[in-house]
Order: sequence, then structure tokens, then C-alpha cells
Amino acid sequence: MLDFSAFQDALGLMFTSAGSWGWIVPGLIVGLVFSAIPGVSITMAMAIVLPMSLYMDFFSAIVFLTSVYTGAGYGGSVPAILMNIPGSPSSFATTFDGYAMSKKGQHNEALGYALFASTICGILGYVLLLLVIEPMANIVLRIGPVEMFAVAVWGMLLLGSLGSKYLTRGLLAAAFGILLGTVGMNTAGFVRGTMGIPTLLDGIPPIPAMIGLLAAGQLLTLAGKDYILDAEEAREVSVRKILKGCWGTMKYPGVLIRGSIIGIIIGAVPGVGSSIGNLIAYAETKRTSKDSASFGKGNPKGVIAAESAVASAEGGSMATMLALGIPGGGATAILIAAFMMHNIVPGPSFIENQKPMVYAIILNNIVQALVLLVVGIGFIYVASSVVKVRTRYILPAILVIATLGTYAVTGETAGPITLFVFALLGFALVRYEYPIAAVVVGILLGRMLETEFLRSYQLSGGNPLYIFQRPAAMAIFGVMLISLFMTAWGKRKQAKQEAEEEAAMEALHQQELAGRKS
Amino acid sequence: MTHITRRDAFKLTAGGLAAASGLVAMPAIVRAANYPTRPINVVVPFATGGYNDRLSRAFAPYLDKAFGQPTVIVNKPGAGTQLGNTYALQAPNDGYTILCTSASPYIPLTVLLQNAPYKIEDFYMINLPSRDYTLAATSADSPLKSFKEVLDKLKADPSSLSIGVQPASADYANMVLVMQAAEIDPKKLRIVTYDGGGPARNATAGAQVDVGFVGAEGFLPLKTKIKPLAMFSDQPVEWYPEAPLASASGVKSDYVEGSQRGWAITAKLKKEQPEIAKTIEAAVEKASKDAKAIEALKLQDLATTWYGPEASNKAYLANAAKMAKYVDLLK
Repeated sequence: MLDFSAFQDALGLMFTSAGSWGWIVPGLIVGLVFSAIPGVSITMAMAIVLPMSLYMDFFSAIVFLTSVYTGAGYGGSVPAILMNIPGSPSSFATTFDGYAMSKKGQHNEALGYALFASTICGILGYVLLLLVIEPMANIVLRIGPVEMFAVAVWGMLLLGSLGSKYLTRGLLAAAFGILLGTVGMNTAGFVRGTMGIPTLLDGIPPIPAMIGLLAAGQLLTLAGKDYILDAEEAREVSVRKILKGCWGTMKYPGVLIRGSIIGIIIGAVPGVGSSIGNLIAYAETKRTSKDSASFGKGNPKGVIAAESAVASAEGGSMATMLALGIPGGGATAILIAAFMMHNIVPGPSFIENQKPMVYAIILNNIVQALVLLVVGIGFIYVASSVVKVRTRYILPAILVIATLGTYAVTGETAGPITLFVFALLGFALVRYEYPIAAVVVGILLGRMLETEFLRSYQLSGGNPLYIFQRPAAMAIFGVMLISLFMTAWGKRKQAKQEAEEEAAMEALHQQELAGRKS
Repeated sequence: MTHITRRDAFKLTAGGLAAASGLVAMPAIVRAANYPTRPINVVVPFATGGYNDRLSRAFAPYLDKAFGQPTVIVNKPGAGTQLGNTYALQAPNDGYTILCTSASPYIPLTVLLQNAPYKIEDFYMINLPSRDYTLAATSADSPLKSFKEVLDKLKADPSSLSIGVQPASADYANMVLVMQAAEIDPKKLRIVTYDGGGPARNATAGAQVDVGFVGAEGFLPLKTKIKPLAMFSDQPVEWYPEAPLASASGVKSDYVEGSQRGWAITAKLKKEQPEIAKTIEAAVEKASKDAKAIEALKLQDLATTWYGPEASNKAYLANAAKMAKYVDLLK
């Protein structure tokens, strides 16, 4: 629990090192801008600025890098909401309802919802971290492959939420995605489907693949329009509406808390990261919500759920990093490197000996989340002006930026090539009405599903009864089944209502088809 | 005050031109006398934040001083260093590209298992200060007490303990070699595979697996969460003296060194531009022996020991030969 004398020292440390506070705003802006560029993930944004932080003193460097982390967590949602293209994989679930809201002319509100969910849950994640950093880290180490497999299966349940017209095509698309996700060398050292290309040994780079798939379909849709939003009066940027969205977030404390808990736990588990947390938080919120039929059509709860998981994951993965010295994901791996470059090794002894410093880092992150609220509104204000620009100027710009983004970070042509190949694939999928989202979910989860299943199999020696030795895995599967059963039960009641919705959706679909032809 | 007349200017220009044309005409070996005249790229075939990246960045200021030219860290990660290695080999043979890499096990691994388009001998080691060894460990609260106990238990029932290891690694080869020496059939073991040292270490510390075979150095931050059982080295390791040696279990087996990290150039440069190669060797030696560098790197748990090209190449080639000998175990 909280160590009060260390806490006071931490407050002292915070105020004596006030100079380092100056790095919060630049850090947030760097994070926001980089992660809003499709193709640059949170990890990449941090990797780019890591060498810069070498020249700062320790606390300033950590403040700067964690500010980039905080900003990048939110930045990805801006293109996700405005253009249906997630800036980074962790804001993929934000596109489902965020873009739908934009289409209805509620982009200001959607961005507000996302921003406030990010702020509140970022703080929530860190407050929890402040209280339970040590016990939490030890629990995280105990999470084994069977539990992780259960989590991956949970993520796959999201597919049920990605309503598409044909069930079979949805399943086929998901299976295709999982196959793509397993290309490369697997955890047992077997190489599959690399076609002799060395770059593919590490698997298909997920970020350019995702951008390629999503952007192709989206850009083609946009190309037929003059502006992103059809209605002229909707093309406005209004701080009042953004604030209204911010305020509206407070109406859904349940969604915020559930999203945060999912985000923190998944963020804390080494090697998973926020790109899966947002999918699970979205799927869970949709399934347990009374108005689940309106998800994917612009329900603010969908935006809040996804963003709350992304923001709180930061606190979770910082817990693992500070307490154990092991990275929860790519971003914390960069942070560890920054620590080491300043001759500080995070881990059990760091927490023991330098508790005030740990608390100061956590407190500073809470401050960052608050500052994000202000910087974020400014950023949204500038970024959402994109709705006022004609698509004929935006489209080429996005294409160029995305291509550069996938190239710039590693300096390898593998990124742009993947982008191009998957753009073609995305085009074919859209053309034949296969749900692209299912392929993306498959790519994001395929590797984890396979790896954890394989490890569970190896660990148990092939004996399925092994699961009875893992109560946590049984609990996850149990909760999942109960939740599914309850949903099925509720669905029966709503069957009639659903039928009506279906008809409406069909009409919408026809309209869209007609619109595309004309 | 000096007045520069037109004539002087002409003379200067002509002299400059003559010097420049002379430079172009001069044979490459003589040109080496001016090396280096521009920044030197240090290719790190890993992403930012890894050991080699940290080593290169921490060492860079001292290397800059020794060269009299700045060094630029170029991260070229991917395909188990194959992309970065290929990049370094394809760079112009002028000494402006050097490598900071985990020579072993990655160069032999990419050659032996990935059909990389280069040979082990295509690289020339300048200095390999960082050596890592396989460590067999268990979680701190595990009932297992010694490596002998582990081997005895596995002898009685090979599936009694689960083993965490990274396939196609030196750790895997060492695990199989010691099992074979103890007359335990490796095929009957319950082996859980991890696609990196980090995950395997986490699984060991968290008691997901009973015993983990992983590079020892990465365990240092997690020291309090594990119990070292057997270090696969000839002598106790300086930075982890309390870890018992594998031979203490009474079972003697051959083993491969976990990793050898440090500075390398291409063999082509050494052969065709020996003067430049000498300059690089001298610069790395000078920086490695710089008291300030030693102090700064020690604080970050990074190695600076100067072994020199001869010893480093010997160690590198010997380990590569051993890996080739046990290549079937690496697959």
C-alpha cells in the first residue's frame, strides 16, 4: 500500500525538479502528432525521441518520454474518429463507433469523449498503480500461457460484434487474418509462409498491414465524395461541442471503470500491450450493454470503452516495468532503455531503494493526464479542420504520409511494400464484401492465439486436464461463458427489436450501395 | 594584415585542385592516411533500447574522441540481425561503416539456419567485451535446490519438470547437451518454447515453468525473483559469482557460449584496407581503455574489457565452429 513518508518525499521531488515539468507539453505534442500519423505506433514515436532524451537529466528524460507515451495513447484516436484510419493499432476499436459518430456529424463530440476517457482513465490507471504497484507486479508474473490463451480467445469474441452481412464471409475473413498473423517463425522455431523473404521471418509487420487494409477501403469510399462529411453544416470545429463530449463521458462511469480495469490488467501483462486491450474492452462493453445493437453505429460508449482501455494500459505496463524491470510492451521497453542510459536499473531493488522517485514518476504522469486535457483540445481543434478540406487534397496527403510513416521509422522498404500489398488486398476484400475488420483482428490476435496455445500444450504435455491446475484460466473461461450465455438470453428477449434494427440496417446498406453506384 | 591578391587566390585554387586530383589518383592504401575525414556509421542490427544499442550509445562519446570524428548510430533491426549484417557488408569498403553487434550467436545462427547470403568469415572482430552464458534457473520460491536435483528428477521421469527455453538458440543447444550427458532423452522432456530471452525469463521468475535455460545477464534485474542452478561457463562469472557452475552437478558436458557482443568490421575491409582497419582497431582500443569510458559503462552494466582482435576472433570462430558442430540441436 501507499508509503506516506515516501509520498511526501515524492511531492518534494516533484516541486524541486520543476524544470522538468517543462518537458510535459513538448512530450505530449510529439506523442499526439506522431501517433496521429497513420503508420507510426506509440513505440515508434518513443523510439524516435529516445536518443534525444540522452542529453537530459534523468527525471526530465522520464517526464519527456512518459509524456510522449501519454500523448501517443490519445493521438491515434484522432484519425480513427475523423477518417476511420487508426493512427496506431491501439486505437483500432475506436474506429468502430468513433467514425460512425463522425459520419453523423458528431466528430466534435466523439473526439471529446475519447479525450476525456483518455484523461480520466490515464489518471485512474496511475492512481491504482500508486496503491498496488508491488502486489500487482507479482500477480502479473504468475499469468501463464493458459490464461493468456483465454484472453486471446476473449479478444476473438469481438468478431461477434463486427456485424457483417454474411456470417460465412466474416468467419472466412477472420481465419484468413489469423493465418496472416502466424506468418514467420513461430515460438517453437518453425518457419511458415515467408516465401524466402528474410523480412517476413519476424512476421508480417502489423502496422503497415493494418493501415493498408483499412486505408484502401476507406480512401476509395472517400474518393467518391467531395468532403469527409456530406452535410455542409456538420463541417464545423466547435470547442463547445468538444467540451460537451468531454462532459458526456462522465455519464458512463461503469464503462470507464470496466475499460480501465481491462486496460490495466492487459497492459501489465508482459508482451501483450494496449493493441489488444482496446479490442477486449470494446467487445465486453458492447456485450454487456443494454443498447448493444447501436454499437458500431455511433454509440459514444464504444469510443469511451476503447479509449479508456488504451489510456489505462499505460499505468499497467508502467507497473510491470517499475516493479520488475521487465517491459509490458514496446513502449516500456524504450523507457527501460532510457532508465538504463541514465544508469538506473528498474526492478525490485529500484522500488525498494528509490520509492520517492517511483512515486514522483507516477504523480508526474497524473499531472500529464491533466495537461493532456488542455493540449488535447488544442490538438483536436487543429486536427479536425481536416473535415473542412476537400478530399481531393486530403487523400493524396494521407497516402504520402502513411507511406512515409511506414518507411521512416525503420528505413526499410518492407513497410511501404506491405502497405501497398495490403492496400490491394483491402480493395479486393471491400469489393467482395468481406469484413476488413475481421481480418485486422485476426492479424492482431493470430500470433498470440497460436503462441499461447502451443505453450499451453507444451506445458501440459498434451493433457487437457491441466486447465484444472490453473484456477485463473478457469475463471476467465467461466466468466466468458457466463457472459456469453447472459447475452444469448438477453438477445432472445430483444429478438423482436433486433429484427427491426436489421431491417433498418438492410435499408441503409441498400442506400449505401445505391449511393456508391451513383 | 594580409592582402590576398588575385594571383594568390589563383595559386591557392590551383594548389587545391592539384591536391584534390592527387587525392583521387592516389592508391586507396595511401588515402587511408587521412581516414577518418567524416562521421562514421555504427550499424546496430537491433532496435533502440537493446544491449548493443545501449553499448554503442554509451561508448560513442569516447569513440568519437578516439576517432576525432563523430559516430552516428544506425539501427537496422530485423530477421535476427541478418538485415543489419547484410547492410554493413553492402556498404562501401571505406571504413565509414562499423558494426556493434551480438556476433555470437546471431552471425552463425543466420548463416547456419537462415541461409544468410554471407559467411561466418565475412566478419572481422575488433573487440568482443561482453560475454554471456546460459543460466539454468528456477523461481525464488521453487522447492528445487540444485541442478543435480533437477537432473535426478528428470532421469527418474523426464516429464516431471517443465523446461522453458528459446528454440534455435545457444541455450537450447546447451540444454540438450547437458541432458544427453546425463543420459536423459531430450525428446521426452516437457519443453516450453519462448520466442525470446525476455519471455523465457519472465516465465522462469513467475514459476510458469519449473526450470528455465536462458542467457544469464538478462536475469540480473530479476535476481531476487530467481534461484540460479547452473551457469554454463568454465569459471564463475564475474558479474554473477554466486551462480553455481553446471559442472558442479557432477555431469560434464560441452557447451556453447551464450553471446559475444562488441565491435566488428567486414573481413573485406581488413584485407583490402589494412591501414584503415588498424586505425579502427586503435580507436576502439583507446576508447576501451579510457578510464572515463570504463567508469561510465560500468554504471550501466555494460562491458568495456579490451581483449583485442586476436583473442576476439579466436573466441568468435571457436564458438561459431561449435555451433556448426551442434547445428542439428539449434534447429
